[in-house]
Amino acid sequence: MITCEEFFAEFADYMENQVSPEIRKELNLHLSQCRACRVLYDTSLKTVKIVTESGSFELPHSVSDPIIDCVMAKLRKDRS
Amino acid sequence: MSFLSEVRLKDKFGPFVEFQAGLGFVPNLVLAQSLLPRLIEAQAMLESAVRLREGAIPRVQKERILLIVAAERQDTYCVALDSKILSSLGLLEVQIDSLLADYRNVDLSGSELACLQFCLKLSHHAPSVCSEDIDALRACGFGDESIFEAVVVTALAVYRCTLSLGLGPEPDFGARKLPSTRIVQQHGPASHGLLSGSHEAGQRNGPYVRAPYLSPKTFSPFAIVQKSHGFIPNFFRAQSLRPDLLEAELEAVGRILLPEEALTRVQKESILLAVSAANLNSYCVAMHCNLLRGLGKPSEEGDQIAVDYHEANLSVADEALLDFAVKLGTRGPEFSGRDVVKLQALGFTEEQILECVVVTALNNFANTLQMGLGIEPDFAPPPAFEENKVHLADAVATPIGREGGVYRGDVIQDLDAGLVAQAQDGKLEAFEELVRRHTQLIYRTLMAMLGKPPDAQDALQDTLLNAFKHIGGFQGRSKFSTWLVSIARNTALQRLRARKDVESLDEPERGEEGDFRPRQVRSWADNPEQLHSKSEIQQLVEAGILGLPAKYRVVVVLRDIEQLSTDEVARELGLGVPAVKTRLLRGRLMLREWLSPHFTASTKGAVK
Repeated sequence: MITCEEFFAEFADYMENQVSPEIRKELNLHLSQCRACRVLYDTSLKTVKIVTESGSFELPHSVSDPIIDCVMAKLRKDRS
Repeated sequence: MSFLSEVRLKDKFGPFVEFQAGLGFVPNLVLAQSLLPRLIEAQAMLESAVRLREGAIPRVQKERILLIVAAERQDTYCVALDSKILSSLGLLEVQIDSLLADYRNVDLSGSELACLQFCLKLSHHAPSVCSEDIDALRACGFGDESIFEAVVVTALAVYRCTLSLGLGPEPDFGARKLPSTRIVQQHGPASHGLLSGSHEAGQRNGPYVRAPYLSPKTFSPFAIVQKSHGFIPNFFRAQSLRPDLLEAELEAVGRILLPEEALTRVQKESILLAVSAANLNSYCVAMHCNLLRGLGKPSEEGDQIAVDYHEANLSVADEALLDFAVKLGTRGPEFSGRDVVKLQALGFTEEQILECVVVTALNNFANTLQMGLGIEPDFAPPPAFEENKVHLADAVATPIGREGGVYRGDVIQDLDAGLVAQAQDGKLEAFEELVRRHTQLIYRTLMAMLGKPPDAQDALQDTLLNAFKHIGGFQGRSKFSTWLVSIARNTALQRLRARKDVESLDEPERGEEGDFRPRQVRSWADNPEQLHSKSEIQQLVEAGILGLPAKYRVVVVLRDIEQLSTDEVARELGLGVPAVKTRLLRGRLMLREWLSPHFTASTKGAVK
């Protein structure tokens, strides 16, 4: 079986589902027998899900509209 | 004499000794590379591992593949040489003549006939090889090892034929009679039960042979690849069935591509990219676009070389170099010694021309291997290349036309195209509508890079003004939204540079790998997002992301919040895919550490 270090070397691609069937098989086998790596994998997937669904860094219209208005006013003024 | 000068090397030169031992002499094809002995070493490594080393396919069968592929390519030099070698292995002259006249009439086993048919198809038009061809070989009793060897021997044949065409060595032996027309054209592929017609790349279902896991810890060549590429490409992983061969191949690749005494790395990667594109090899196109980015070339330049290098921002000399390589690599019958003279007239040295020939040969070796083994992509090729493949398919048969070579497809597909055209005509309402559509995307990019809301809001204003100023120059080679993000990125970079405490986004990758290890090993609740309110989670995530170093923050925001693909992020940031992968993993793991105390199974109550 591969070591935790070898698992970690493949971890980025495994998370992105970009490993070959052979390697996936090895990694799955490792996961089934190593609690620490299983926790790492599970919590990393949950991290990505939470970050993706968090709606972070949305700019409220109350802030974005005045900025766009200001830009458009400047462009119109430059033109006239 | 060949097209290029030769220098005398010592008889004891290692590769000469190997050729003497394996073939009984040193072929003129080898001597023709004497200006750069490391290239001879590369060929010796490949020939020794692929041709001479005992494997699943008997030596005589390998020699028949080499001969038939050379004959199909009308390569009189290789045919004469390979005939002599077959003769030394005990084949009668009359048997060799029959083989050359029509291999199907020779008394060969059904499985060997099937193998030769497969190898000819792979050599003649590699993009049409598909899983059915492999299934047919298996039905004839071929196992993974034999299929693998048949592919690699064909790749070696293609390598040697490209070399012989480009170097024009004197024949070692008298010429043999070749069939007047090419074998594959004469007996079209469709007439063979084994050979199916051309397949779209999307229908391919590789990899075709098994590839056991090889660890960089135990297989040292992989450790070197991991260090140089940042990861181990599928191209090398897919060959793990024969570590000995893989090792020789990596050594040969290193000798050909790494030194910069003749051509530069960028010139070599450009050759590999342009010839792979002309060969319609999406895998190798994606790989070399990525490597060019790693060498500091903007992604647009690599993409344009893949689509049509004539329209890329190249010097006259470099464009001529690619003309030479593409002609040699894909339109062999048109190539002649005059092409060598043309390059010399432009100031290229003989060493540079020699290296261009060998790099082109290596490219054809790699393209053949990739198609024959059905190697899966590591990342996507430029969308513009994929869309333009139809034009390129024509270009394989005829010289690339200047018109229509530049990709225009995204303009049609981009939902913004109509408004962009109006905005380019000066209609401010159209520009305003475009801006409102994409404000969030721009803002997130700016926040990711600048990390402070007031800075990001100021930069948003600058980005919009810059976008309007330059919209006339937008040519539709990417989506409009992608173009906007690149304006935002440049605006943010200017601000970062103006800050005294610049957080570099382009720090070298040195030390990025391996020294960050996750600490938290406590498991999380099954549905961690239910532990806190949505606004609490948003605050927590934003705080975590803002706490990341800038280079990780940008990648995490573009990948996990904007949900661009890894390849798109690489293009946006002008980074190589491996660098993006490394930074993404780092950023995600840091966020995981940050979030962990709030989401473990025992966590209760509000965010602290």
